[in-house]
Amino acid sequence: MLNQLIGIIFSETFVFSIFRITTPILFAALAAVIAERAGVTNIGLEGIMMISALTGVIFSAKLQSAWLGLLFAILLGVLTALMIGFFALKLKTDIILAGIAVNMLGNGGTIFVMFLVSGDRGYSANLASKVMPAINIPILQNIPILGKILSGHNILTYFAFICVLLVWILLYKTPMGLQIRAVGESPNAADSVGVSVNRIKYIALGLSGALAGMGGAFMSMGYMSSFNTNMTAGRGFIALAAEAMGRAEPVGTMLTSLLFGFADALANNMQSLGLPQELVAMTPYVFTVVGLAIYAASTLKKNRKKLE
Amino acid sequence: MADTNIAVLMKGITKVYPNGIAANQSVDFSVNRGEIHALMGENGAGKSTLMKMLFGLEQPTEGEIIINGEPVSLTSPTVAISKGIGMVHQHFMLVPSLTVAENIVLGMEPTKGAFIDYAEAVRITKEFSEKYNLHVEPDAKVMDIPVGMKQKVEILKALVRGAKILILDEPTAVLTSQETAELFKELIHFKEQGHTIIFISHKLKEIKQITDRMTIMRGGKSMGVFNTADVSEQDISRLMVGRDVVLKVEKEKAEPTDTVLKVEDVHYENEYGKKMLNGVSFTVRKGEILGIAGVEGNGQRELVSMLFDMVPPDSGTITVEGQTVTGKGQSFIRELGVSHIPEDRMTYGAAGTASIEENLISDRFEKPAFNKGLLFDMDAIHKTSDQLIQDYLILCRSGKQQVKMLSGGNIQKVVVAREFSCDPKLIIADQPTRGIDVGATEFIRKKLVELSRNGAAVLLVSADLNEVMELSDSLMVFCGGEIVAYFEDTSTLSDEEMGEYMLGLKRQSPEEIRRVFHA
Amino acid sequence: MRKNLKFEIIRGAASILLALAVAMIFIFIISDVPFEALYNLIIGPFTKLRYLWLILERMIPIVFTGLGVCVMFQANQFNLAGEGTLFFGGLVAAAVAIYLPMPPVLHIIVCIVIASVVAAAAMLIPALLKTKLGASEMVSSLMLNYILLQLGVYILNWHMADRTQGATMSHLFQDTARIPTLVPRTNLSWGIIIALAMTALVALFMYRTKWGYAIRMVGQNQSFAKYSGIKVAGTIVLCQVIGGLLSGMGGAVEVLGYYDRFKWRQLPGYGWDGVTIAILAKNNPVFIPFAAFFMSYLKQGCNLMQTYTDVPAEMLSIIQAVIFLFFAAEQFLSKYRQKLVVKGAKEELAEKKAEGGQKGAEA
Repeated sequence: MLNQLIGIIFSETFVFSIFRITTPILFAALAAVIAERAGVTNIGLEGIMMISALTGVIFSAKLQSAWLGLLFAILLGVLTALMIGFFALKLKTDIILAGIAVNMLGNGGTIFVMFLVSGDRGYSANLASKVMPAINIPILQNIPILGKILSGHNILTYFAFICVLLVWILLYKTPMGLQIRAVGESPNAADSVGVSVNRIKYIALGLSGALAGMGGAFMSMGYMSSFNTNMTAGRGFIALAAEAMGRAEPVGTMLTSLLFGFADALANNMQSLGLPQELVAMTPYVFTVVGLAIYAASTLKKNRKKLE
Repeated sequence: MADTNIAVLMKGITKVYPNGIAANQSVDFSVNRGEIHALMGENGAGKSTLMKMLFGLEQPTEGEIIINGEPVSLTSPTVAISKGIGMVHQHFMLVPSLTVAENIVLGMEPTKGAFIDYAEAVRITKEFSEKYNLHVEPDAKVMDIPVGMKQKVEILKALVRGAKILILDEPTAVLTSQETAELFKELIHFKEQGHTIIFISHKLKEIKQITDRMTIMRGGKSMGVFNTADVSEQDISRLMVGRDVVLKVEKEKAEPTDTVLKVEDVHYENEYGKKMLNGVSFTVRKGEILGIAGVEGNGQRELVSMLFDMVPPDSGTITVEGQTVTGKGQSFIRELGVSHIPEDRMTYGAAGTASIEENLISDRFEKPAFNKGLLFDMDAIHKTSDQLIQDYLILCRSGKQQVKMLSGGNIQKVVVAREFSCDPKLIIADQPTRGIDVGATEFIRKKLVELSRNGAAVLLVSADLNEVMELSDSLMVFCGGEIVAYFEDTSTLSDEEMGEYMLGLKRQSPEEIRRVFHA
Repeated sequence: MRKNLKFEIIRGAASILLALAVAMIFIFIISDVPFEALYNLIIGPFTKLRYLWLILERMIPIVFTGLGVCVMFQANQFNLAGEGTLFFGGLVAAAVAIYLPMPPVLHIIVCIVIASVVAAAAMLIPALLKTKLGASEMVSSLMLNYILLQLGVYILNWHMADRTQGATMSHLFQDTARIPTLVPRTNLSWGIIIALAMTALVALFMYRTKWGYAIRMVGQNQSFAKYSGIKVAGTIVLCQVIGGLLSGMGGAVEVLGYYDRFKWRQLPGYGWDGVTIAILAKNNPVFIPFAAFFMSYLKQGCNLMQTYTDVPAEMLSIIQAVIFLFFAAEQFLSKYRQKLVVKGAKEELAEKKAEGGQKGAEA
C-alpha cells in the first residue's frame, strides 16, 4: 500500500491536483492576510465564499457568461465583506460575531436564494451555469512532466498564484500597503497622522472580500461546475489557519496553503486505496489542527519573552 | 473683532464622555501666536481632553474653536493637521516595525508611479531633521531607537505636515534631564521661527523655565490665564490643587528586621535582545520601605514582573521568606503573603466591567470564609466588600457598581483595598499613586507607611521622585538595568544628587551597592 | 443600572423589529401572497396549541448549546464546536441506548452521562491546544466540528447502521433508553424539564460558585485574573469542557427524546443556533430559555410560511443573521444611549450643585 501511495504522490496528475485544490484555499488565505494585516480578523470568509459561489453560478447562467458570473461573484464578495465592516467598525459588533453572522447567511441564505432561483434546495443542476476556462500554456505544455503539472489549469488557479505577488507588492511597495500595515500594527499612530483607520480597514475588508469572492467563484465555476449546499466545507476556516501559519505574509501563506492542498489531494487519493471515505474526508481537518498546533508550539518560545 | 495675534481660541468648551464623565465644563482657552503656553493641571483635570479636541481626536459637546481668527470644526486629526496643528502625544504614536522615514511620511507618502518612493521619504526626513536640528536615523526601525529619538520623530512628523501650532503632551515625562534640556533648546528654536507651542505638564520647574504664559485647569474647569513671570510656584500649586500640596508624610524611623524578599544576581534580556536587568541583587526587610528610583524603562518594570512571576528571569534567584517564586504562579506567591499594586491598574489591577465587589474578592474568593459547600457565601462576600468600601473611603453608589464607572482615584482605592487587606508580608507597590487625585494619593501613602510600621516589607517603585524620596526609608537607584546607588537614609538626599545617579553620570562603588543585599 | 436595562430592552426590540422589517421586504419581493406569508410567519405559531408544543420541542437542543456557548463566551473563549460535540454526543448516547441494556431511567441517565463526558473530552482538544500551545481555539474548534462529523458518520455507516432500513440509520434504541414524552400525543419529552433544570444549574454555577466567578473574571480581564492568582489556563480548559459537556448532553437528550434511531448524517445546526441565542441572552444563562423560545418560535413561523405559502423556510437564516448582527452591535442606537447618559450626568451635576448650595447656606 505504501508503494501505491508513493506512486500516487509522484504522479503528474497528483501534483496537478494539488494546485487545483490549493486554489480556493489560497484565495481565501490571501483574503485573510490582507484583513489581518489591517487588524481585522475576517472569519466570514467561509460565508463569503458560499455567497460568491452561488452568485457566480446564478449570474453566469442568467447572463450566459462565465466572466460576468465571476464579476458578480467578486462584487457580492466585496459587498458582504463591507457589510462585516459596517457592523464591526460602525456599529461595534464584535468582528468575530459579525463573521459568524455572515457564515450563517452563507449557509442558510444561499439555500434560500437558490431555492427561489432554481426551485432546488440541494444543488444548482437546473441552472445552466458556465465554467471559467482552463488555459494551456504554449511551449510549457509540451515540456514533459512540467507541462502536465503546470499547464492546463483553470485561469483562476493561475490568477490565485499571481495574486500572491500582487498582494506582496500591495503590502510592501505601495502607500496603501504601508497604511494597511500601520493601521493593523498601531491604529493610534495611523490615526495621529490623519490616516483614517476605518477607511483603511474598509478597503482591506473589501479587498479581502474580492479575493474570497474569487475563491468562491472558483469553487462553483472551476473546481466544480455547479453550486451545492455547504460546498466550501470549511475551506474558509482552513484558510484562516493557513494565514496564521504563514504569519500573515503572502509568500509564507502560499506555502502553507499548498501544504493544505497537498493534504487534501492526498486524502482524495487515499480513497482509491480502499480506506473508508468518511475517514479520508476527515484528514484535511485533522491536518489543519495538527499544523496549527505545530505552528503554535514553534512560536511559543518567542512569545514567552513578551511582557504583557 | 478677531484678534489676529491669537493662534488658538477655544470658547465655552464642554465635553461629556459617553460614560457620563464631564471632562471639560465651559473652558475658555487662548494662545497667542509665537508663545510657549503651558497647560497645567493635575491628572484628570481635563488637559488631555481639551487638547484632544484641539487635535480633532474628540469633538466638544458644546463650545467653539477658532484657529487664527477662523472658526473651525475639527472633526478629525486630518482637519486639525490641515489647519496647521500638530500634536506630540505622551504615548508615542509610532508604528514600531516601520522605519523612521516610513513613520514620518505615513499618510503623505511620496510616490513614483503607484509605488512608494522610499528614497524621497528618506530625503524629506533628512531635510527636516537638518532644518530643525532634530537628529534622527531615517533607516532605523522605530522599535530599535531610544526614547529621546522617538520623541524627535514625533515632532518631525508634525513639522513635516506643516504644523505651526505644536501641542506637546507631557513631553518630558519619559526624558532624562539632558534630553529635557535639549528639548527645551529645540522648543525655543521653534518659537524663534514663529511656531506656537502648547506645553502640557505638571512639573512646576519646567513650566517656570520655559513658558511665557500658562492656563491652569482643575476639575475640568479653567482656573485662569497667567503670565509665567507673575506667579510663584506656590501660587501655581495652589491653583492646581486648591491647597498647598502636602508632600510630607509623617513616619517614624524604620526598624527593619528579618529579610522577606531576596533577589540575587538576576539577569534578563527582553524579546528584542536588549539587556534589561544585569546582575541585580537586593533584599527587602520587615518593617522597611525600600524605594526604587530611576527613569522609567531602566529595568524596573521587568523586575516587578519577575517578582510576581509574570515573566521568568534568564538567571538568578528570587525568594520570598526563603521560598523560590519563579515558576510558581501568582496564587502561590499570594499565599506566601505577597501583595502587589500594579503599575497599570486597568490592565492588571482591576476588571473594569466587573463590579467593585467582584474586584475586591479576586485574590481570596476561593478561601473557605467565602464559600459554603459548593456555593459562594454571598453574605460573607457582601459584608467584606462593604467593610472595605467603608474602610478605604471608596466613593460609589454600591458594591454592585462597575469599577470602570469610578474615577481613577477610586479605582486605585479598590485595588489598594484588596492588596492591603490580605495581611501582606511583602507589598510590591508599583507607581501606587500615578494619575490619581491628591486626596487618594495621601490616603494611599499613609496606608503604605502604616502597614510597613506594622511589620510589612515594602518595595516601592515610583517614577515620581518626590514620592519615592519621601516615602522610602532606604532607596536604590536603577540605571541601565543595574543598581547604581543605594542610600540607607533618604532624608539627607538632594534632588541634584539623585539626578546624577539616575542619568548614569555617577555610580557608587560595588561595595557601597552591595550594602542593599542583607544576606 | 436601571436605565441601562431599559436601554438594552429597547435596543433588543429594535433589533428584532429591524430583522422582521428585512424579512418583510424579502417577502414582498418574492411572494405572490405576501400577507399570508407574513401572517404565517408572525401570527401562525400562536394559532394552534400543537404549534406551542412544537416550539417547546425545538427549544430543547438549543437551550443546551446556548448554555454551553454562554459559559465559553463568558470566559472570552470563542469555541464554536458546540455543533460537532452536540452531534457526537447524540451518536454516543445512541450507541449506549442500543448496545448497553440497562433498567429504565438508569439507562437514560447512563446514556446522557457517557455522551456528556465524551463530548467534554472532545472539547479538551481545542482547550488544551489553546492553553498549552496558544493555538486559536476558534480555528481548531471549527475543524473539530468537521472531524467529529466525519468520524460520527463513519461510525454510523460502518458500525451502527441497520442494513434493513432504506436510508442510513442506526438500529432501534432500547425502550429503556428513550426519554418519555411529557405531553401525550406530542413529541415534547421530559427533555424540556432537563433543559430548564440545567439552565438553573448553570446560572447558579456562573454567579454563585468560585468556578463561575473565575470563568467570568478570566473573560472580563484575563491579565487581571492571572495577576489575582486565578488559574487562567485551568479556567479556560474548564469552561470549554463544560461547554462540551452541555452540548453533548443536549445531543443525548435530543436524540433519546425525539428519535427512535440515530439518523443524523449532517451537522444539525443547533450549535450555531446556540451561538445566536447566547448573543440574544447577552451570555446570561438565565435568559437562554427565553431566547431559545424566541428562536424556536421564529423557526416554527418560517416552517408554517413554507408549508402554506411560497416562501422557503431558509428565510430564517436571514432573519437570524440580522437579529444577531444588531444584537451584538454595541453602537447600535448609541446616540440614543448617549443622550440618556448625558441627561443623567447633567441631572447628577445639578443635584450636586443643589446639595453644595444647601451646605453653603447652612455654613
